[in-house]
Amino acid sequence: MSTPVVMRGCLLEARDIVKSFGQTPALRGASVAVGQGEILAIMGPSGSGKSTLLHCLAGIFQPDRGEGWFDGRRLDTLGEAERTRLRRTAFGFVFQFGQLVPELTAADNVALPLLLNRASRKLAYKTAATWLDRLGLSDKGGRRTGELSGGEAQRVAVARALALAPKVIFADEPTGSLDSLTGEKVMDLMTGLAREQGATVVVVTHDARVASYADRVVMVRDGRVSADLGAATVSGSSAAKAVQLWSASACS
Amino acid sequence: MVRLGLQLTLRSGREAFVRLLVMAAAVAVGVALLLGVLAEFHAFQANASQPCWSCTLGAPVPATLPAHGELWNDSIDFYQGQTITRLDVAALGPGAPVPPGVAHLPPPGEYYASPALAALLRTVPADELGDRFPGHLAGTIGQQALNGTNDLVIYVGYTPAALNAVPGTSWVTSISTAPAQEVFTPFFRYAFLVGVLAVVFPMLVLISTATRLAADRREERFAALRLVGGTPADIRVIASVEAMVGAFAGAVLGTVIFLLVRPALAGAALIGTPYFESDLTPTAAGYLAMLIGVPILAAIAALISLRRVQISPLGVSRRAAPKPPTLWRLVLLVLGVALFVYGLAKTSRDGIGAPAYPGLLITMIGLVVAGPWFTAQAARLFGRAGRGSSALLASKRLADNPKAAFRSVAGLVLAVFLGTMVGTLIPAVNATEASPAAGALSNVLLDQVGLSPQAGAHLLSGLGGISGATAYPLYSLYGQPPANTSVKQKTGPASHPGDGQRRTPGSAGSTVVSCPVMRGLEVLGQCAPGLTAVQADTSALFSDNPTDNTKPFVNASNVAYTGDLAKLPLQAVLVRVNSPATLERVRTYLALNAPPQEGGGQGQSPTPPRTFGETLGIRLDRAATFEKIVYAAVALTLIVAGCSLAVAVGGGLVERKRPFTLLRVGGTQLSVLSTVVLLEAAVPLAAATLIAAGVAYGTSILAFVRLAPIGTAIPQLGHDYFTLMGIGLVAAFCVIALTLPLLNRMTSPDNARFE
Repeated sequence: MSTPVVMRGCLLEARDIVKSFGQTPALRGASVAVGQGEILAIMGPSGSGKSTLLHCLAGIFQPDRGEGWFDGRRLDTLGEAERTRLRRTAFGFVFQFGQLVPELTAADNVALPLLLNRASRKLAYKTAATWLDRLGLSDKGGRRTGELSGGEAQRVAVARALALAPKVIFADEPTGSLDSLTGEKVMDLMTGLAREQGATVVVVTHDARVASYADRVVMVRDGRVSADLGAATVSGSSAAKAVQLWSASACS
Repeated sequence: MVRLGLQLTLRSGREAFVRLLVMAAAVAVGVALLLGVLAEFHAFQANASQPCWSCTLGAPVPATLPAHGELWNDSIDFYQGQTITRLDVAALGPGAPVPPGVAHLPPPGEYYASPALAALLRTVPADELGDRFPGHLAGTIGQQALNGTNDLVIYVGYTPAALNAVPGTSWVTSISTAPAQEVFTPFFRYAFLVGVLAVVFPMLVLISTATRLAADRREERFAALRLVGGTPADIRVIASVEAMVGAFAGAVLGTVIFLLVRPALAGAALIGTPYFESDLTPTAAGYLAMLIGVPILAAIAALISLRRVQISPLGVSRRAAPKPPTLWRLVLLVLGVALFVYGLAKTSRDGIGAPAYPGLLITMIGLVVAGPWFTAQAARLFGRAGRGSSALLASKRLADNPKAAFRSVAGLVLAVFLGTMVGTLIPAVNATEASPAAGALSNVLLDQVGLSPQAGAHLLSGLGGISGATAYPLYSLYGQPPANTSVKQKTGPASHPGDGQRRTPGSAGSTVVSCPVMRGLEVLGQCAPGLTAVQADTSALFSDNPTDNTKPFVNASNVAYTGDLAKLPLQAVLVRVNSPATLERVRTYLALNAPPQEGGGQGQSPTPPRTFGETLGIRLDRAATFEKIVYAAVALTLIVAGCSLAVAVGGGLVERKRPFTLLRVGGTQLSVLSTVVLLEAAVPLAAATLIAAGVAYGTSILAFVRLAPIGTAIPQLGHDYFTLMGIGLVAAFCVIALTLPLLNRMTSPDNARFE
């Protein structure tokens, strides 16, 4: 577990976000701020709106109401093209599945955002090789992601998220499909390298062990941020206990 | 982005490569077929616009032979049912015009023949063919004068004096260069248009289906690209590149396939005679349109399919749930049928009412538009009636998106529509052309000879000497024949132009026929018992319509003739032959010994001696050619539709790999999934096929009632129809069955990993 960095001002913020899907409300006024270099874990029960909050923070969803801010700019008023550009230049993503192109090799996948960003092929593949090496996948660069194990595929996703030196990495259940050991390895790598790069990480999880990697944990319930557990300077087990206590109190 | 698109298309592993291969193969089949149709049309157009030298009209030969121009006598002859076009020609001066295909006119005593006729002359005994042409072969006639490789054409050279002695010869100073005014040219042009439409329409469906092959998988990939910052424009470029690469590869492959089968296609004789291979080619614009147009069409289809979905960074969602098809979808079909019926109402003996053609086209389009509605209704009925999990899964999917379900069988429905129309009309057309008596007389040759009694007797004696030939004379009751008062060894042409207007022979009891002779021609009637000869009206015998000229002309009511037949001129002779070789020997003998009577006008070919079977054959050839074209169109439609179905079913399997695998993992038997796949094709196919067959049969019956002679029986669909349709539908299910092993492999629980 690395030492948390000191928060240097707010980089990302959701203010009173409301988002519905048809008649179903997902967020009912959620607010949260994330500091630069901070690792924030968003937790909550299924259907609480935590993934929707992450997607609103990443500019994937546009909120129905409320404001999203990134680096001093309103996110929610940006057009599709500008939000796409942000995803290409400033954000990295690690999801549970579905984020890799199975037809491409690991190296192709890592180089992809750079290529989309009009980087030269040489630079893109050199960067990809560097990151695959750092994630222990130097011998897997030529393999298609469909041929990799789940843990390897997630490490490719991490490499891809970090290859662009993003300001924020958004991770949605990044270890959801992995066993605990592999999950820990992936989280170690992702958070360690993010800290090294000074990147902010927003991770959605229901797993207390994943949350224990965070500097701060917020709880989402019924579409609102219902608790900010503050700096998680606690161990994994303490964090889990805190979550359980919070859940119990919320339920009662 | 183009590079990334190319990489995703070409270097994305086996599955992507197979997808590309299937798409290219499907497009290749469509392109090859379309090029074939375009090539046939080009060859047909080339023939239709070829200068018609035999249409040349000359002037009467002046009393004093001019010193320029040439003497010209064109006619037709037969060999084994094939028509020989013959030109007898004599130059009058050094600048005599030369017919196409030769460098100069044949000198007297020589002739030029087309390659096919030259080959026959070399191989067939002279008394069966060669003796008809005086002189010897001096060279071959080039392609410019011919329609195809099998054309039998001959230019025979004469001295002016010899040719001038032949009745019907005219004086020609220039040779016609205008194309022939064929009555059937516009009809065939229309038939080609229908043929092209019959192929183009399903081919568009095929390209569009092939482009959407495994669309779900592709769209997932696009979503992943969007997540890492790919813009919608990037996605469009990549999708277009993917579609264009596959379609271009298919277009190139299709062109190669076409070029490989072109020689065989040239020999297929779709329009009666095999084409020259050099004529059987699409224009450069046709090739270009394929190589450029098809990839563009594919790109458009890919972009349209992208418009139907919202590709977000989180995945793919439909822009809107497909609305169930409404009754409005039937409007076009109803409109098409109404227009067709209106066209039939406007139909007269002079031609089919113009609205019938667009009516037919709109009906076909209407069937495709209405198909999803019929599919939805069938799915609803099936959902209520069906039992078991297969029926449940299939009916739900069909009801969810009947448009997609129908798309895969749209081509087959069109094929069924066209096939039913053909199956209804062709046997009916043939029935009106054929005559039951024609079969009994098929080996009987008829020649109007017009000889004096002595010459006639000599001719009959000569015919009696030909082994395998039995001659039946018809005598003229009145006067002497106008020409050929003696049998002479002919040195001139075998027949004369201008004889087409000859006086009607055998009219109003002017013919006398021996009753023993009639016993050899049973189908033409029998005399009353005890008579030796009767007077008869045989005018119908000389008609060129087999339904007329094989009607009996003798019965018990015919007036008896008691005179001496040997004193009557020989009007005509019927000769029954026992083999094709005997037929040609008789024909050659008649051509040399009984030249036709004087012609009735310039530029008109007489009817040469020919059998009733050949007369019928010429009639039926037209119907057969039409039948061939339409059946070819139906077969092409079936092939293209089969490809569409294979691509659609295969693509559907790839798309549903995940749910089907999970169902299998959950214990669903493979047979259940196989049944689902079969039902998903069978239900829309059955629904729309029944409607298409019903509409086609109904409209065909209407057309038949309007066009066929009164009293003709309403046609029933015969075994040919059921065979063709049966084979087509069985082949369709075989195509689906071929994908079932793929289903087994793809959904194996071992593969239950999706990334």
